[in-house]
Amino acid sequence: MRLVGRRLLMTLPTLFGVLVVAFLLLNVAPGDPVAAMVGERADSATIARLRAELHLDDPLPARFGHYVWGVVRGDLGRSYITQRPIVQDLEERFPKTVQLALAAMLLAALCGITLGAVSAVQPGGVFDRLAMLVSYLGVSFPVYWVGLLLILVFALGLHWLPPSGSGGLAYLVLPALTLGMRSIAFLSRITRAAMLDVLSSDFVRTARAKGLSEATVVLRHGLRNALVPVITVLGLDTGSYLTGSILTETIFGWPGLGRYVLTAIEKRDLPAIQGGILFMSLVFVLVNLVTDLLYAKADPRIAYD
Amino acid sequence: MRARSILLHTTLVATIACGRTAPGRAGLVYYESYDPRSLDPALSTDVPTGEMVTLAFDGLTQFDPDGRLEPALADRWTASPDGRRYVFHLRAGVKFHNGTPLTAAAVRASFLRVLAPGTRGGRPWPLYPIAGAEEYAAGRAAGVRGMTLRDDSGLAFTLTEPLAIFPKFLAMPVASVTPAPAPPELGQRPIGTGPWRFVAWQHDDALTFARNPDYWGGAPLADTLIVRIVPEPLTRAAEFEAGRLSVIEVPFGETARWRAQHPGWLAEKPALRVVYVALNNRRGPLSDTRVRRAINQAVNVPEILATVYGGRGILARGAIPPALAGSDTTRRAYGYDPAAARRLLAEAGYAGGIDVQLWRTASNVELSRAAQAIQSQLAAAGVRVELVERDASSQREAARKGQADMVILDWWADYPDADNFLYPLFYSGSFGAGGNYAFYSDAVTDSLILAARRTTDDAGRTALYRRIDDRVYAAAPWLYLWFPKDLWAHRPDLGGWDLPVIFNGQRWTHARVGGR
Repeated sequence: MRLVGRRLLMTLPTLFGVLVVAFLLLNVAPGDPVAAMVGERADSATIARLRAELHLDDPLPARFGHYVWGVVRGDLGRSYITQRPIVQDLEERFPKTVQLALAAMLLAALCGITLGAVSAVQPGGVFDRLAMLVSYLGVSFPVYWVGLLLILVFALGLHWLPPSGSGGLAYLVLPALTLGMRSIAFLSRITRAAMLDVLSSDFVRTARAKGLSEATVVLRHGLRNALVPVITVLGLDTGSYLTGSILTETIFGWPGLGRYVLTAIEKRDLPAIQGGILFMSLVFVLVNLVTDLLYAKADPRIAYD
Repeated sequence: MRARSILLHTTLVATIACGRTAPGRAGLVYYESYDPRSLDPALSTDVPTGEMVTLAFDGLTQFDPDGRLEPALADRWTASPDGRRYVFHLRAGVKFHNGTPLTAAAVRASFLRVLAPGTRGGRPWPLYPIAGAEEYAAGRAAGVRGMTLRDDSGLAFTLTEPLAIFPKFLAMPVASVTPAPAPPELGQRPIGTGPWRFVAWQHDDALTFARNPDYWGGAPLADTLIVRIVPEPLTRAAEFEAGRLSVIEVPFGETARWRAQHPGWLAEKPALRVVYVALNNRRGPLSDTRVRRAINQAVNVPEILATVYGGRGILARGAIPPALAGSDTTRRAYGYDPAAARRLLAEAGYAGGIDVQLWRTASNVELSRAAQAIQSQLAAAGVRVELVERDASSQREAARKGQADMVILDWWADYPDADNFLYPLFYSGSFGAGGNYAFYSDAVTDSLILAARRTTDDAGRTALYRRIDDRVYAAAPWLYLWFPKDLWAHRPDLGGWDLPVIFNGQRWTHARVGGR
């Protein structure tokens, strides 16, 4: 527990760094947030008045101080564009992102690890060759193309699933598959490699010599010991999925974090971008923490002190 | 094998769930490509917001799908002979969705709210013609002196100067009437007098509206109208083909296929839009009229329109779209003549050609491709173009500050009148953010534009519009491209829907599924 507490404390400087960089970058980037507020036709007096009201003409340090003070109090401000509180916007989108990320990871873990483990049992066999072909394709095809292809086949061709939107479980399948595709491919390759490594080690030979069944050898001695790299990949992917996935969310009209931040960037909605980035960083840091703790679980030799 | 059985299982479960949750088959389903800013009329500065505000609210006037001005909350109005004073009479018996009656005081309060600095809406200009409105918006006056209540059902407006098109300004979404005092969270849960009552809004996902049975213009025929947020054009096409959207703008990539396979689905209309390349009239060689004319001659616009834009447009020989009074479709076009272009360039002292930048943004795929075609054609005439690709926001900023030589753009009408294609685009007071990205400035044009605004007689105004467009075209402040024709598809079972020429010209009251 003390470890968790200390690690949590250590995330604070990271988050502060993110905040500083995001704030500075956004404020030197071209594009005027007021331009998106006034639309395609405006008069300079209105623009000047809006800039003054939003304190956009104040000195940068003053604006930064104001923003940090808000963040400390848990207030990420209001969107320039929609005038809604950022915290409320994030609260609304995050559950949708979690839903999609978990579905994708579940799919990826189940399919990827299974594919990899089974391939490793008979390297060079028919199944192995097939599985590796699948994973090559999964890694190589762009998300965008896979998503549209899935819509074409499962929604338009077979009428099994809705093309896009959000709602019941049916709406989750295609986006989760699209999002998880790369993870399935990566995981199967990494599991296979790690398994091959482990299965040729001495202790596995000993286990076989003891007369253990092949299933026990592969699952208990092989897979368990091959898990550390797998957890690393799972952790990283989960982290990136939980922070939203712009392409998948756009193709499937999924109302998650990725699209929220993309729209905010397009409109230079500074409070929304800053709040979004800060929140995503927090999620990412926490997921990494959980991953680290899982290492220790998977391999008792890894200890943090 | 295990992986496959899991997949199969998930798919099966999903299919069952799908049968239960497929939305909106019976009702109307429209879409927006991104979430509206808000449903507060004061914040309607973009098309999705404006369209949604139009469903829930009404203005004193409105546009029909063909862009004609109609009475709305005001059933009649009068203008003084000099065009400076207007009196609007409110329709009797109109109620807001919450049951409170519409009053002239509510109209006044709505307008004050749009102008009030704290509202931060960003679009007060449609109300600026009212005397004292600008002072009020700037915080220099306690009220708007040009806006007075006549009685409970009448409002008088005195304008700063005659403006014949003022009633059209009042049909813009920003001039919609809200209850007074404005309810809290109006932007999230709007209460208007419009044909559709607000039901729910899942951000980035969908908005749900239900028919307003008491709508003064006759209750909508359909029970519900769902507006889904579908950002990706090809996904929209799939949704439409799956029968889950009632109408859709035909994606450019599908133009030929749908024209051939589903002609019965399609509706086509010249839109009140223009696509053009703003040539910065104050930068380098482009400040020479001959160079700008040469650019107009060096580009084979019909070819680009036919190939890149799927033929979905009408060649522009001016800035006023053909559907508007004042447009001249018989004007002699510059015509494609690279040899003449070279001669003009040489005459201007650029026999060795010129180097310019053309800005484009990837978010508009078709215009981005058109920019590429323009680049290669201009090269043949000695105009060496460097393409600068930025996101829309950066491009807009550079264009507004006059930092871009050439920018490919489109302009959407806010109100169906030629003034909307002249005053913002060519009046020198509209430089930059006002819409004049070409920084075109001509004293005669300026005075003609102002004169047209003051002219109350329609025929006289139309004649002036034509003269202005003639004069500007000759000066070639733009590379004139085309007026887009909207190409939409509707489900075969959708009746009573008409493709609007302007974004707020469709209220969905006559539309219904089944029976045309």
